[in-house]
Order: sequence, then C-alpha cells, then structure tokens
Amino acid sequence: MRTALGRALDREAEKLLACIHCGLCVSACPTYLQLGDENDSPRGRLYLMRAAAEGRLPMTSRALAHHIDLCLGCRACETVCPSGVRYGRLLEAVRADLSRAGATPGLWSVRFLLNHIFTSPTRLHWFFAPARWLRRRAFVRRWAKGKFLPARARLALELLLATTPEEMSPGDERRIIPLAASGRRARRVAFFAGCVARELFAHTNRATMDVLAAHDCEVEDPPDQVCCGALHAHAGEIETARALARRNIRAFERSAAEAIVVNVAGCGAMLKEYGELLADDAEYAERARAFAARVRDVSEYLLEIGLRPGPRPLNLTVTYDAPCHLYHAQRVRTAPLEMIRRLPGLTVVPLTEAEMCCGSAGIYNLRHPGLADQLLERKIAHLRRTGADVLLTGNAGCLMHLRRGVQRAGLSMRVLHPIELLALTYA
Amino acid sequence: MMSWIAELKAILGDEDVIADPERLLAYECDGLSLHKHLPSAVIFPESAEEVARAVKVLARHRVPFLARGAGTGLSGGAVAVQGGVIFELARMNRILAIDYENQLAVVEPGVINLALTRAVAEAGYFYAPDPSSQMACTLGGNVAENAGGPHCLKYGMTGHHVLGLEVVLPDGTIVMLGGHGADAVGYDLLGLFIGSEGTFGIATKITVRLMRQPQAVKTLLADFLSVEDASRAVSAIIAAGILPSALEMMDRATIEAVEASVYAAGLPTDAAAVLIIEVDGLEASVVYEVERVVEICRAHGARQVVVARDEAERARLWAGRKGAFGALGRISPDLMVQDAVIPRSKLPEVLPEIYRIAARYGLRMANVFHAGDGNLHPNICFDGRDPEEVERVKAACREIMELCVRVGGALTGEHGIGLDKIAYMPLVFTEDDLEAMARVRAVFDPEGLCNPGKVLPVRRCRAF
Repeated sequence: MRTALGRALDREAEKLLACIHCGLCVSACPTYLQLGDENDSPRGRLYLMRAAAEGRLPMTSRALAHHIDLCLGCRACETVCPSGVRYGRLLEAVRADLSRAGATPGLWSVRFLLNHIFTSPTRLHWFFAPARWLRRRAFVRRWAKGKFLPARARLALELLLATTPEEMSPGDERRIIPLAASGRRARRVAFFAGCVARELFAHTNRATMDVLAAHDCEVEDPPDQVCCGALHAHAGEIETARALARRNIRAFERSAAEAIVVNVAGCGAMLKEYGELLADDAEYAERARAFAARVRDVSEYLLEIGLRPGPRPLNLTVTYDAPCHLYHAQRVRTAPLEMIRRLPGLTVVPLTEAEMCCGSAGIYNLRHPGLADQLLERKIAHLRRTGADVLLTGNAGCLMHLRRGVQRAGLSMRVLHPIELLALTYA
Repeated sequence: MMSWIAELKAILGDEDVIADPERLLAYECDGLSLHKHLPSAVIFPESAEEVARAVKVLARHRVPFLARGAGTGLSGGAVAVQGGVIFELARMNRILAIDYENQLAVVEPGVINLALTRAVAEAGYFYAPDPSSQMACTLGGNVAENAGGPHCLKYGMTGHHVLGLEVVLPDGTIVMLGGHGADAVGYDLLGLFIGSEGTFGIATKITVRLMRQPQAVKTLLADFLSVEDASRAVSAIIAAGILPSALEMMDRATIEAVEASVYAAGLPTDAAAVLIIEVDGLEASVVYEVERVVEICRAHGARQVVVARDEAERARLWAGRKGAFGALGRISPDLMVQDAVIPRSKLPEVLPEIYRIAARYGLRMANVFHAGDGNLHPNICFDGRDPEEVERVKAACREIMELCVRVGGALTGEHGIGLDKIAYMPLVFTEDDLEAMARVRAVFDPEGLCNPGKVLPVRRCRAF
C-alpha cells in the first residue's frame, strides 16, 4: 500500500525534491532556534522525510517520529522558502503515515478525544461542561498554583483559566453590540463557530457575529457544522479530518452565504485547505474547492467589504502577535494590522518576532510543555518591552497560551482577539 | 579506558551528544547536497571551555572533528568526510558585547549574520559582509570561509571586518588571535586563520567591526537583451571610476525562478539579464553616481534602468537576489553551484562560453553572481538520482573551472575549496605551493584531525 507521504510525494514530487538544501528556512524555525539541531529544522525534517520516502529510514524510525513530533507545524518555513516547498502538506502526510505505522508517540487519550469526542458537537458540549463550571470556581486558581495535582493537569487548568475572562456560555443569546440602527442586511455570511471556540470562547464568537451584523451582514450559524479537523490533520488522524471536512461541506452547502467567516486562524487555515485534503475524493474534490474558496478570516472579510468601526475611542496602546496559521499558512499578513490601525484612539506598537510561533500550536503546549514554555518566555520578553496595555491575536489556542504567559509573568497586559476590541468601539 | 563517546557525554551530558545513526543522517551534508558523508557523532557545546575539553578528548583518541554552523556552506566544508565528530555551534548564539564608540561587537560563532545587523540597525550601524544566505548562516562559518556577499565589492570580505578571534586549536588549547585594534601585533595569525575553512581550529569568540550606515543609498535595476551587453556595462561602470557598493547580475533562468517564488521582486522575465546596482555614500555623490550609472547602462544597450523608489522596493530587490539560489530549486531537484573568480574584463568573453559548455553537456544552467568582482556563480540544475547526469555535471564543472583558470581566474570567490573543489587545486598551484600550505597546516594540526580531507588534495597518504 502506498504511504500517505508517498502519495503526497507523487503529487508533490517536485515539491519535496524542490528542497535543494539551501538552509534559508533554518533560522525561521522556532524549534531550530531553540534547540540548534538540524533534525529540528525544516530542512532536517524534510531530509528525514525524504529518507523515509526513499527507504533509507523505516517508517518506524524513532528519530523520524521524534523530530516530526517536535515540529510545531507553524509553517514559518514556507514563508521564507525560495523553492516553494509545501512543508505543511508533507508534514500532514508523514504524520498520517506515522500514525498508521503506530509510530506516533502521542497519548492514547488524545487520540480518543480527537476521534470520539471532537467529532460530535453534543459530546464535546458535555465534555466541556465541567470545564466551564470549573473556570468560574475560585478554588481552581488555588489548584492550578498548588502542588498536589500533576504538572500537566495544573497546566491544563492554567490554560482553562486563560480561556475567556468575560463570562458567557454557549447558546447565550445576549448581544454585545446593540443591533445596528439601520437594520439593513445587505450581505449574507455563514459563521464558522469552531469547536473549542464555541465551548470556551462564546464571548469572542458573539462579538464576531455582532460585528458582522454591524456591517449589515445577515449572519447564519449553520446548525450541522462540526470541528474543522485541524487538530486531527496535525496529529496524523487524517481520515477523521476528512470525515469532518465532508460534514462541514454538506452543512455549508445548504447556505447561500457569500462567505464563510471564521475567527480562529487554525480553523481558517484548515478550511481553506479542504480542497487539498479531499483532492483524491471523487465525490467531494470539487465541492471542497468550492467550499474553500468561500472561506475568509474575519479580518480579511471586514476589510474586503469595508471596515466600519464604531465611534468610541479606546485610548489604549496595543500590540499584535500574528497567529502562525493566519500569517504563514493563510498568508493573511496585513489585514489584521490594517483593521487594528483603523480603530479609533489606538496607539499600535510593533512587537519583535511577531511572526514567530508563541509555542501554543494547537495542543503542542500540552504535549511538549517544556519547549512550548521556552517559546512563550521568548515571546513574553519581547512583549514586556512593548509597554502595551493590550496584546491582540486572532487564534483561540494562542489566546489561552499567551494569557497564561502574561499572567505568570505578572504583566498587567490584557490579551484579546482583535474582534473583541473592535466590538468595544460600538458600545 | 572510557570510549570517546562516553567521555564526550561526561563533558556535555547525554542529551548533547548524538550518536544514533538515524539522527546523524541530516548531518551527512551541508548546503551543497552533492557530497554526503555520515559523521560518527554530533555534539552541541555551549562554551569555549566545552569545545576545548571535547577537542582534547578527540585529539587523545585521534578522532577527526569539525565545526558546523547553520550548514549553508556551498563547498562541502562542513561534511565529515572521514567520519568523526561534528561540533554543532548553533547554540553558541549570543551577542556578547556591542561597543558603538569603538564600532565593534563581540559575538559567539553561532550568531546568525543578519541577526547582528538587526541588533545594531536602530543605532545606525551594520555588519558589512552579507552572503546571500545571511538570514541563516552563522558568523563562525563566515570566518571559516572568509565569506563574501554582494556588498563586499565596496566593503571587502569577512577578513576585512574581523578584528580578533578566540580560537580552540586542534590540540584543545584556547588562544586569542588579533585583538580590538586595526593592526595585529606580532604575527598576523588572524589573517591566517580567517578562510582556513575550519582546518586550523574552531573559533569560539569573534570580534567584528561595525560600520556606520551610509547617509544615502540608491539601488538600480537595469535590464538587458544580452548577457554580453550586461557584462560590458559592468566593466564600464567600474572603468568610469565608480565603486558601487554592489553590482550583481542575474540571467533569464534565474529571473524566472525568482519571479515564481515568494521572493518575486518584479524583475522583467523577458530580459536576458538584469543588473542590480547599488551606490551609497554622501547624498551628493550618490545623486551623481546614479546619473552616471544610468548613462553607462543606457550606452551599453540597457532597455530600461529604474531606481528603487523606497526602502520597501530596495528590500524586495535584495530579497529576490538573495533568494535566487534557493529559488532555482524550482527548476530541478538538485543544484550544483560553482564559485570562480575571473578578471572582470573577461566577463563578456567567458560568460557565453560557460553557457556553451553547459549546452554541450545537455545541462540547464542559470547564472546569478557578483559581477562587479568577476565572481561567477554558474548554477547547474540537475537530478541527483540520475548517475549519468551527475557525471555530466562533474565534467561540465571541470571544464568551466579550467576555462576560468585559463583566463587568469581563481577557484573560489567566497565559498571556499572545501571538499568540492579540491581536485581543481593543482590547476592553479604547483606542488611546491601546495607543500608550503600543507606545512602551515601541519603547524596548527600536526595530527591531521581538524576538518581533514578539505582544502588540500591528499597524496601518498598525507595532506599534500
């Protein structure tokens, strides 16, 4: 049987071979900068992949599994690769092969969650119910600081506490922005709510829908939508990712909306790549491409239709950290900053290494807490020098990870999704 | 007696000594993937003391070793040709001191070239040598290869910008070469060490000169309908007494590859060649020189000469130029780059001949190079999986090299001899010349353990 890497290579032959080993990518790679090991650089990982594809390394190679596992999947290497290597696709392919070969060092519990909980909105809702209850309890803060829980559980609690400071439950119909006076509904958009975002970032989602409404959009929330499958694809559970993609395609095909708007960078990147994910599926390939063509990050979409922030000046100094899956994967590089710059009363200060991964990377921070924290500390050091009141970033995982970092460092900085700041200008 | 691996682990810790063959694979080649040799181990020292202690262990066990930075070198210099231990210095990446008053900085060898310029840019300074791989390559590697770059035309090579070095000699002693001043007291061992391609020892601390940013910079793009016209313009610019800070040529194949990449710079894809010409200095002189360069290019058949309007446009041109080598990866799976220097005046005659050689061997060629110094970089695009094609590549390279030597050229402008060009050494040096070099090398490394198999051809079981 052909391996996923083999198939990706057949299609992308010139794209893996396109790596001529120039090495311009190594200094863009967060894990290489931190570890200094060629094996932890994009060029080195491609070298291992090529060796596996050519039979010089077995798929069960521990070195291959280890170094592929340590990759953040931030795709900063794609931004600098002069040769145009599609690193992200090859990474997904090799992870699928490793998973099939049983060589992925992942936890069985993670795999169970991905394949049996994240695939069902109902189960996911009940899974997160205790989490939502917990995050409102004062003792959780003590537990997170205490010593009696294992380190990983404390980390999970810290991240949970960093989800959203504004209390809001999924399904809460309260509006943040009063309905725009005009009540015009010139455009129809479908909102992609996400899975973790729906459960833990209800406030951000509400803000996004309200901001769209304030831009004269009729906002739909297609009822059958599910998780985008990004976590699955990144963990090598490629078939589950494909199954989720098919469900989302069906759910959004029923909508005549001109755009599918998403506020989480990681989901957006996955949705925009459905065409490639289902390229070999005769029934879905074309539909997937059509779906992907409608997907827009919320910042991208608002600029496209003409951003109209509210009148209230915010009088804040803010800085922006680019989520990797927005900047490197979706190549949406200027829209969020452009949006922020046009909000009333803001001073925007630059952040050094704003395009470098913060260490969150999906569930990377739970799986590799040591390295994730090193990257977080690097980010916090740069943040400290900005003197900003607010740090903006448009990805659920980064929001949690960075908030946790800011809290631990004792900074008084708030960490928000740009759309939440935009929402404040209407109040 | 403990094995040398165990001794290294005792010094560096288990984590920082790799000996698992699967994890060594990625270290079998550097930026020039044609030459592959598996090292016996890779180690990650973090201080001069660790480097020295590890070197002592290896010297005692007679195990060969070499230093490696980012592995972007293009002569096979960081390849363990006889097996042995690679010192991966990427973690020694601290900028130790910046002294603007005396215009110098002290860095560890793993500091990335561009990181130094970025660190001093706000204060109005820069580090001049700028190899095309500057966003990744390390200053330690730059010292070993005496690296160049586009701006070396005016500012000189790495050797002109290194004031002092702390070096671990091949027997493990730590010595200082040079200092902070412009002239070394005593023997100029610094000059000897720079460009020794890692065969005289491992630099662990580097003192470099910082330059003030020029008051004005202008970058021009001139496009030509023939490579010969572009070459003549190059000679004419220099003959007119103008010293551009950079004068680069890219041919059509290169332009096409760059324009298809993330570094697309808006270069005209229908031109046979473009020149990127940069002049800098005082505002008044720059204005004058730009006018003169435009005139000269036009007189030599330039279709169009445009001046970059702002810093963003300038940066785009340079990103295109510096990403060119990697962009050529779009054309074929493998790339062989040569690095010969010829007298500038010979460009119009030699360039077409180089294309003819490639055509004769049925190979695709792209040229992107430092025209102002006559430093050629013919790139041959090939597929390393085809052994017959590899042979043709090697034969064509040799012919190109012979041609360059015949017109009075040199074997390397900036990439070093390394492993790749050893066979060409007898083309330019007599046996006596090589013997003299071998004797110097033996002074530093009598046991022949420090990056063996590089620079000098081996004969009769010893370095020549």
